[in-house]
Amino acid sequence: MTKILVPVKLVLDYNLKARVKSDKTGIDLTNVKLSINPFDEISVEEAVRLKEAGKATEIVVVSIGPAKAQDALRSGLAIGADRGILIETTEVVEPLNVAKILAKVVETEKPDLVFLGKQAIDDDSNQTGQSLAALLDWPQATFASTLVLEDGAVQVTREVDGGHQTLKLALPAVVTVDLRLNEPRYPTLPNIMKSKKKPIATQKIAEFGIDITPRLKVIEVHEPPTRKAGIKVKTAAELVDNLKKAGVL
Amino acid sequence: MPDYKAPVDDMLYLLNEVFNAEENVFSKIPQYNEVSNDLVQSVLEEAGRFCAGVLRPINISGDQEGAHFKDGKVTTPKGFKEAYASYTEGGWSSLAFSPEYEGQGLPRTLQVLVKEMISSANLSFGLFPGLTEGAAEAIEAHASEELKQKYLPNMVSGKWTGAMGLTEGSAGSDLSLVKTRAKPRDDGSYSISGSKIFISSGDHDLAENVIHLVLARLPEAPAGTKGISLFLCPKIFVNEDGSLGAPNTISVGTIEHKMGIHAQPTCVMNFDEAQGWLVGEPNRGLNAMFTMMNAARLLVGMQGLGIAEASYQTASAYAKDRLQGRAPGARETGSIIEHPDVRKQLLTMLGFIEAGRALAVYVALELDKEGFHPDAAVRARASSLVALLTPVIKAGLTDFGFETAVLGQQTLGGHGYIHEWGQEQFVRDARITQIYEGTNGIQSQDLVTRKLPLDGGKVVADFFGQIGNVIAEGKGVAEVLSLATQLEAALAGLQKITLRLQSGDLANPLEQNAAATAYLRAFTLVTFGWLWLRMALITVKKGAAATPHDKRKLLVGEFFAARMLPQVYGLFHEIEAGSTTLMALASAEF
Amino acid sequence: MTTLVLASHDQKTLDASTAKAVTAALALGEDVHLLVAGSNIGAIADEAAKLQHVKKVLKADAVTLEHQLAEPLADVIVSIAKDYDAIVTAATSVGKNVLPRVSALLDVQQISEITKVISTDTFERPIYAGNAIEVVQSLDAKKVITVRISAFAAAPAGSDSAPVEPVTAQSRQYRSSFVNEALVQSARPELTSARIIVSGGRALGSSEKFDDVLFPLADKLHAAIGASRAAVDAGYAPNDAQVGQTGKIVAPDLYIALGISGAIQHLAGMKESKIIVAINKDEDAPIFSVADFGIVGDLFKVVPEIEQALG
Repeated sequence: MTKILVPVKLVLDYNLKARVKSDKTGIDLTNVKLSINPFDEISVEEAVRLKEAGKATEIVVVSIGPAKAQDALRSGLAIGADRGILIETTEVVEPLNVAKILAKVVETEKPDLVFLGKQAIDDDSNQTGQSLAALLDWPQATFASTLVLEDGAVQVTREVDGGHQTLKLALPAVVTVDLRLNEPRYPTLPNIMKSKKKPIATQKIAEFGIDITPRLKVIEVHEPPTRKAGIKVKTAAELVDNLKKAGVL
Repeated sequence: MPDYKAPVDDMLYLLNEVFNAEENVFSKIPQYNEVSNDLVQSVLEEAGRFCAGVLRPINISGDQEGAHFKDGKVTTPKGFKEAYASYTEGGWSSLAFSPEYEGQGLPRTLQVLVKEMISSANLSFGLFPGLTEGAAEAIEAHASEELKQKYLPNMVSGKWTGAMGLTEGSAGSDLSLVKTRAKPRDDGSYSISGSKIFISSGDHDLAENVIHLVLARLPEAPAGTKGISLFLCPKIFVNEDGSLGAPNTISVGTIEHKMGIHAQPTCVMNFDEAQGWLVGEPNRGLNAMFTMMNAARLLVGMQGLGIAEASYQTASAYAKDRLQGRAPGARETGSIIEHPDVRKQLLTMLGFIEAGRALAVYVALELDKEGFHPDAAVRARASSLVALLTPVIKAGLTDFGFETAVLGQQTLGGHGYIHEWGQEQFVRDARITQIYEGTNGIQSQDLVTRKLPLDGGKVVADFFGQIGNVIAEGKGVAEVLSLATQLEAALAGLQKITLRLQSGDLANPLEQNAAATAYLRAFTLVTFGWLWLRMALITVKKGAAATPHDKRKLLVGEFFAARMLPQVYGLFHEIEAGSTTLMALASAEF
Repeated sequence: MTTLVLASHDQKTLDASTAKAVTAALALGEDVHLLVAGSNIGAIADEAAKLQHVKKVLKADAVTLEHQLAEPLADVIVSIAKDYDAIVTAATSVGKNVLPRVSALLDVQQISEITKVISTDTFERPIYAGNAIEVVQSLDAKKVITVRISAFAAAPAGSDSAPVEPVTAQSRQYRSSFVNEALVQSARPELTSARIIVSGGRALGSSEKFDDVLFPLADKLHAAIGASRAAVDAGYAPNDAQVGQTGKIVAPDLYIALGISGAIQHLAGMKESKIIVAINKDEDAPIFSVADFGIVGDLFKVVPEIEQALG
């Protein structure tokens, strides 16, 4: 009887290039396609596979964001999650605060596992799963590339620098997933249609009683430095020197 | 390979803002009461992802490898089997079919848009489910309940595919010449003997069974079109319990070596006393075939549009990236998109694509009304409009589709001529859409000789009336005044020619035949102008809330009016020249 | 301001990223302490003590820390965190795993993968996969920071050794345990995720020469191997190595194009790379128009020279 909670985030579609706003306050997200964070799609897929294999009983997807964040929940429901929770806010919620709210959701939902994407492709923070595990005092396995659910435990192979490491976590536990864990399915048409009827419960973020005041002040967001006019160098030594200065070696 | 991204934004714009599909159509049809904007968006987005991720990657490789024929067996290129399996597992084959036969019961409009995406991604692939849908629709409309129960669910799910056996060596555009024979058997079935050519998806390794619909003559059937019956011949017999039995006596003669759609096995099929079952009434086979023609021709139109869209995506991306030469007035080498002539290519592509898509959505919504609207008067009106515009969609969208593919090839220069970028494949693949499912010549004859007279000319008059209404509205709006005025003049010219073809000096078979292709093109251009004006008006109405997508509509609409619409005047001149110069040279002198 | 840097190591030697994290830490203030946590890591701690400007090395030596699992490692850091204004580590797989846990336990909003220290509370970090740079100011009293390794130079080794002091690791029951690990040191990274790509063109002349020239350089740089379509068509490299419009689209930090002329199909597949190096005999080769650094010359001579210069 394993219940899995899968937090998902709506982000700029991964096929689109982020464009910095001209006033440098952030990324322009008006009139652009937003999609479920690709890593989150993998975590939903993994949960659904466990359910299809008879190893999980219920999959709940949860998202924090504006009403539009429902789209990320619907994507998860179309892959095969059972129901959704939308925690509505128009404010920016930083990873630590996301983790605090998710910890509250865990208190009520009492899942055995929380699967998260290893990072969201917008802010690239790579924090929420680890922070959530800390707040819950649960074991964690990040960057999962293989996952085996056993009785009361999960065995996770992680992608680490230079290879793989396998850990065993006693449940309940937090797992963050990496690209190679699985290839998410294309949702089937019947499941897309069914997903529209699956329940999504909406809660206001204020109900959680967490102070979500940002701890990071964004001073500005700018374009990365553009490619400088190339130079020709004479020698290999000069080249290596330049590459070191450029910070790529 | 160049990426393909389904134009879901433009599709949703058409459905939600231009035609207000949910309120005006879907909510009025009980079968569609669960079809919300939200569902439509999800379906289109996921279909787009599927096409881009699964079908597109095997388009160029499928073209280069081609379908195989060896030892009497047809196999598809690498990856097609897997792609077809995910297509059917995904439920895409059953999208618009009735839940009665395990379909999803979604609107035809969605099917039409998904068809565009499939055609952009992989035209050869699209013909497998495409032919199945056509055959299944004919069975649903005309076959006995027994045949429907036996064959439809597995065709709807895509477990079995369908094929249409119409053409023979000496019976192409004129099916009255069909020679294939059907002999009654004692058990009420028939023995079919004959040879059919150009059978798309006639045989392959994607599915376990192929259900052929075959046109054949019963003994002592009247000559001509009134003596042709339609039969269902399975490749493999289906037992009473639904399991597959022995193979029927149907064999593949060969597969055609073609200009394009290489991954699609176009078969010569031999029926050697093959067992078949009558579909519909004896001698009414062509009727049964033609009830599904509107849908099939609309879908071929989408193939032309889909290829054009795919070609445009590559051409526009290339034009932005390709640094070559100096644009007029520029001091440095820049991207070719700065050159007016390249922009003309891309804008001409857009001028067609976005109006073509608007026309497709307009007609598809009428098709949904025709099928399911509770009000009989609405159904009848929709049916007439669909009939009128079907040849326009089929021929208009495929002629412009092909021309667009050529432009998209031209934008890439030499890179458009080599295989790598896929642009030359689009040109080759697009060519067939102008030819099959009734050549575009046949389509224009259909428009002039069968569709203009519909309801005593009232149908076309009503349609022109709709265009006139939008022009009247546009003439009161400063931002679109020029577009509206130009369209007004073009429409007036078209109406004048139409009248002459209906009841004036051109109203005889010779002149109608001579005028038809030019007329259909002029009709298409005026129709596109109407849709550009509608879209431009939306932009103006939105005012400050107009998105970049909206603003683009206004600018491309102006381009269309200034540089594409005036083609109608050349066409009018051509029509006015009459048949004299066509008939003057004796046939023997050619 | 006193900063604690969690040292990176593999239980055998100190990882080079530690010295880079120290550079970032020094930008915050001159008092930098290192924490070396693991099992039997005395030698590593001694090595760490030699890094210039490091004032003190803390050594947490315990069996529970052997695999640097997040839970015990976070507990050690948190136990000494009160003495520090900032906690910094390199964004290695260990650092990325443990630090957000630490930050949550300290109730600090971490700043991930900084590429520049602007002031003691303001940093630059890439977002959207490097398509934008965010400048953020931390309002937390304590800073918790991971450092993008490629953005900082290594702090040099000094002559003096800093003092090494032991730290006690808490002893409690953890619910995660190490099962095994499989480290593949020699395997090349995947083309699409590699930080560095060495790519060869038709100028290599044969499959043997392709391997002979590219492999040693790629090994040295821990780089993936790529190829132009011309090289793939000529059979010098496998299909899956092809970079370009019809092959893989890549955007590594460093792309080294050897004997590749730069056909538009190829450029389409690699022009988003951060730094592009081109080596080609033909000085008019289009590849030079996108290269940050180019050498006009014979690659068979230049490549070995580069290897030498890399040391």
